[in-house]
Parts: sequence; structure tokens; C-alpha cells
Amino acid sequence: MNKVILSILGHDRPGIVAAVSKVLFEQNCNIENVSQTTLQSEFAGIFIVSMPGSLSAQSLHQSLNAQMATLGLEVHVRSLKPPPATEFIPECESYIITTKGPDRKGLVAGISDVIARFQGNITNLQAVFKGGAEPGDNIMIYEVDLPSQTDQQALYRKLKSRAKELKLEIDIQHRNIFEAINRI
Amino acid sequence: MLTQREILSTLEMLKNENLDVRTVTLGINLLDCASHDPEILKSKIHGRISHFARNLVSVCDQIGQKYGIPVVNKRIAVSPIAVVGASMSSSQLVEVAHVLDGVAAEVDVDFIGGFTALVEKGIARGDRALIEAIPHALASTERVCASVNVASTKAGINMDAILLMGKAIKKAADLTAKTDGIACAKLCVFANIPQDIPFMAGAYLGIGEADAVINVGVSGPGVVKKAIDRALESDSELDLGQISELIKKTAYKVTRVGELIGQEVANHLNIQFGVVDLSLAPTPNVGDSVGEIFQSLGLLSIGVPGTTAALALINDAVKKGGAFASSRVGGLSGAFIPVSEDLNISEAARSGHIGLEKLEAITAVCSVGLDMIALPGDTTEDTLAAIIADEMAIGVINNKTTATRLIPVPGKNAGDNAYFGGLLGQSTIIPVNNGRNLNPFVRHGGLIPAPIQSLTN
Repeated sequence: MNKVILSILGHDRPGIVAAVSKVLFEQNCNIENVSQTTLQSEFAGIFIVSMPGSLSAQSLHQSLNAQMATLGLEVHVRSLKPPPATEFIPECESYIITTKGPDRKGLVAGISDVIARFQGNITNLQAVFKGGAEPGDNIMIYEVDLPSQTDQQALYRKLKSRAKELKLEIDIQHRNIFEAINRI
Repeated sequence: MLTQREILSTLEMLKNENLDVRTVTLGINLLDCASHDPEILKSKIHGRISHFARNLVSVCDQIGQKYGIPVVNKRIAVSPIAVVGASMSSSQLVEVAHVLDGVAAEVDVDFIGGFTALVEKGIARGDRALIEAIPHALASTERVCASVNVASTKAGINMDAILLMGKAIKKAADLTAKTDGIACAKLCVFANIPQDIPFMAGAYLGIGEADAVINVGVSGPGVVKKAIDRALESDSELDLGQISELIKKTAYKVTRVGELIGQEVANHLNIQFGVVDLSLAPTPNVGDSVGEIFQSLGLLSIGVPGTTAALALINDAVKKGGAFASSRVGGLSGAFIPVSEDLNISEAARSGHIGLEKLEAITAVCSVGLDMIALPGDTTEDTLAAIIADEMAIGVINNKTTATRLIPVPGKNAGDNAYFGGLLGQSTIIPVNNGRNLNPFVRHGGLIPAPIQSLTN
């Protein structure tokens, strides 16, 4: 059993998931994981699929392309290799970093640069930009896994100073407080 | 994955609605510090407190930063000093108070509670010495808080102790006349005192508690008020059942924060976690007021007819939300109505919407009692004792905690302003009916018997 990861991108409309899954079913593939989202009017979906040994990634790509092109969607397919056994994943804690401030270019680049320098892995990023100068209308929410050994004080200082340069209010909080307050 | 709404509403509570952890209070058992030698006693007390409390402030600050929620106050509560120092004289107990004050400053906590006696049924030698020591102890220290439990539903009301407390309050006020009798702001008289209150001035560590325990006091009147305002804005037809449900849910959220912080502080310090006390505890800041909640509910001001029913609704909903959020809820857990500490209640007292009688009435349904009430300086010790006796009776008969924190402000009259500063706030002095006279009723002394537990009409 081989695995592939495929992504579908294009203008959102009813029937996209139905069309993709129909092709996969016909090709005797099994969907293991799916994540999909829509941003403004655009659809993006990622599927991890296991497929029979007789099928190649290339021929699956061709079958999907034949169907998706009619819907105006782009398809990308790639064979999935298991991660190398030597890959070291440090123990992490989850934090939520929230910024508010007037919309301008370079906000995500500025903040994510600091996160990357501290080996933080952004696991989810939501940005709500309505534009304009009202801080509450322009919010970014980063969910970040930080290695437990991270120098918290240094990270806080760096994020705060970067936020100041970008004229952003910034908050950094451990994820547990959001879980505790909102979930039973 | 968290939703945007979950993240943004939490941030709103923390940043704009004054949700904070009002206090992390470290309870420290001092019972085995007892000694016949005052020097040994004082040295053991000092050693024990600094041992347990030396990292309290830094750990609280670190965890507060981790979650983005301020731990506003760090405090200590100790075993009742009347028991620990039972063999000491009154002047020796004042010295013990100085040791408590000193060690509190060393470990950088703002208050230390437990200068306490439990005398609901009778007054032992050490209790009498402690009550006698209270005025000097509070007048000559900054951080020490005292409390005396004079009544309980099981034991009745100790009128001898109440009269002693009337005298102690009067003397404490006189000793701090220059600062409007501030010593009295650090002195609570209780009926049915809980063993695990984290809030001052009533915090002490009960006899039945462990060597050390972390209790947390969470507040959030601003969060409750904003939740009511928002709900009524989107649907002005909400009925009181729905509003109660809303307060309950809000109380749940606030309590969860307290439990999270408390558990983590306790783990870091390797100390047992005790309870979360979810109380709507105001500060003299706009947006952090219990009084404002009454206005959100449609009352002109706290004190007008309808206040008792509204407070009953709020207090009950807070308790229900708290009890669901954590199985470690304790302390007082309800709504506080400290007059000088709440800008809005203080204003109601100034404008005459609320007086002593209505305040007393609403203590039947709130979580504490006559709290931070400035009275005319010529109020007699008899009258103070009589006010305390009335308040204790409400607690004893209704099987609940009640307390008084009364301040007869030396040299000032009803209508004048008393200023206590900081969290203690300021207040108009409230008139007292027949306040300047003797009161032969309280001078009878003795014990008002414990109430019958049947025929409950």
C-alpha cells in the first residue's frame, strides 16, 4: 500500500469534495486524512490517501486532473515517504500568540520570523484583516508549538520589541488557559 | 484547534474586563512552632514562613506571565496565632505580629492573615490575650490582618467576645486616628468562618488543614457586568432566569482560570492545592465593581428596592457556576459588597441610596457581610458590638458565613469622607441609628444559644 498527499486548489463551489472523493473511490483509494478550508472565495484541500500497489502517483494525478480541470481546480499529487527514523522532535508546549494592529505589509513575515528563530512551529495561523487602522479589525492568531527548553523571557522580549516596531499589540499565552475557560 | 471566538473572547475578558487572579494565598501551618519561650516561638515562625514562602511571588509572576493573566496579590495565611501562641501574653503576641509583618515584607507579600482567634463558644486564655493584642498589633504593623470568629450555627453567638471586639475595634481606630482608623480595615469579625478563605482580611489556615496549602481567590465583577450588558444589548427581552444562566456560565469560566493557575502554582512549589474561591470582589476602579452589576440589571443603584432579590440571583448563580467548574471550590465564593472598596457602592452610600440597614439586609443573601463600612467616630463600643451581634445573628440563623469590617473613623461624622487608600478605597461615613449611646442589651453578655435546626420557617 502506497501513500500519496494531494492538494486541490481553486475557486470554491458546491461538489468539489464529492468530485475528488468519487475519483479516489473509483481508483480503489482510501482517504486517511483530510483538511479543507475556504479563504474568501477560494477552496484549498489536502488529502492523505493510501492507494493500491498497482496504481502510481502519476496515473492517479492524471485521473484527478481529468475531472478537476472541468471544475477549474488545480491538483498536485506527491508520494508520501515516512519521516526518517532519525528525525528529532523536541518536547513542545503550545502557545497562542495574538496580535492586533493597523493592517500593513510585512506583519506576518515580521512575527513569524521571530517564532522561527526560536524554533517555534506554527501549527495554525488565522488572520482576520478587514483593513483600515482599527486595531480590533486586524487580528492575527498564531498557534505555536515551542520547544519546552525555549528561553521564554528572551522570546517574549523579542516578540514584544518586534511587535512594537510593527505597531502591533501582542499577547503570548499558554494554550491551556483557552482550553480551561472555553471547554468542559 | 481553538476557534477565533474562543481566543478573542478570552482575550477580551483578560484585557478589557478586569479578569484577574485576585490573590494566590499560601496557607502555612504554624502549630508545631508553639513554644513556652517567646524567642523560640518567634524564630520558628519566621523560619517556617520564609521556608515555604520564599519563592511564592516569583512563581506566581512567572505563571501569570505564562498565561497572560496577572496574579494581582500574593498573600500568606497562617494557623490561628491565638492557638500557636496560646501561652503568650498580650504584649508578646504584639511582638509575634511584628515578626509576621517582617517576614511578610521579606518574602514580598502584601498581607499576612491569621492573627486570629476562634471564640464562638468560649474564650481561652490565649484567645483573650490575642484579642487584647489586636489594636496594638494592627496599629504597629502594615501587613498583618486579624480575624475573630465569635459565632457559629453549631455553637451560638458569644456575646462576651462580641463586646470585647467592640472595644478592640474602637481602640484600633483610636490608635490609627491620623489615618482614618485604618487598623480596623485589617480586622474582621466572623460567624461561621471558613478555614480556607484566600481573601483578606479574613484569611487564616484552619486547624484541619495540611502543613502548607495554596488557595486561590479569583474575581471578575467586570466580566459578569460586561456579559450581562452584551446579552441585553443583543436581546433586551432576556428574563431573569436567562440572566442567571449567563452569570453561571461566566462564573464557570472565571473559576476555571483560578483552578488552572492555583494547580500550577501548587505544583511548582510542591505544595498541596486547596481551593478556588470565586468571589465577585471589587476594587475601587471603574469596570471592576459589584455595584455596577445592579445597574446593568436595571436598578437605579445598589440599595434601592429590588437590590436583595438581585443580589440573591447573582450570588446563587456565581456559586452554581463555580461549583460546576471545579470540585475544589471553597472560601466564601459569592458576591462581596465592601462599601469603600467599590466605587459604585461607595457612591450609593454618598448619595443616600444605601445605608446601614439595607446593607445589613442584603448580607442575608451575599457571601460575606458588613464590609469596609466607615462609621462616625463617636460610635460607641456598645453600638459596634450591637451591629456585630446583628450581623452574626444573620449568619448563625441562615447557616452561612457573615462578617463585619467596621471602621469608626476618629473625629469624623456621618457625611464626611474617610480615605483608606489603595485597594481599601474611600467612602462616605454612614450614619448609625442610636450610635452614640450605651446598649444594655449587649452588656448582658453570655452566649446566645445555637439555633434549632428544625421548624425552619
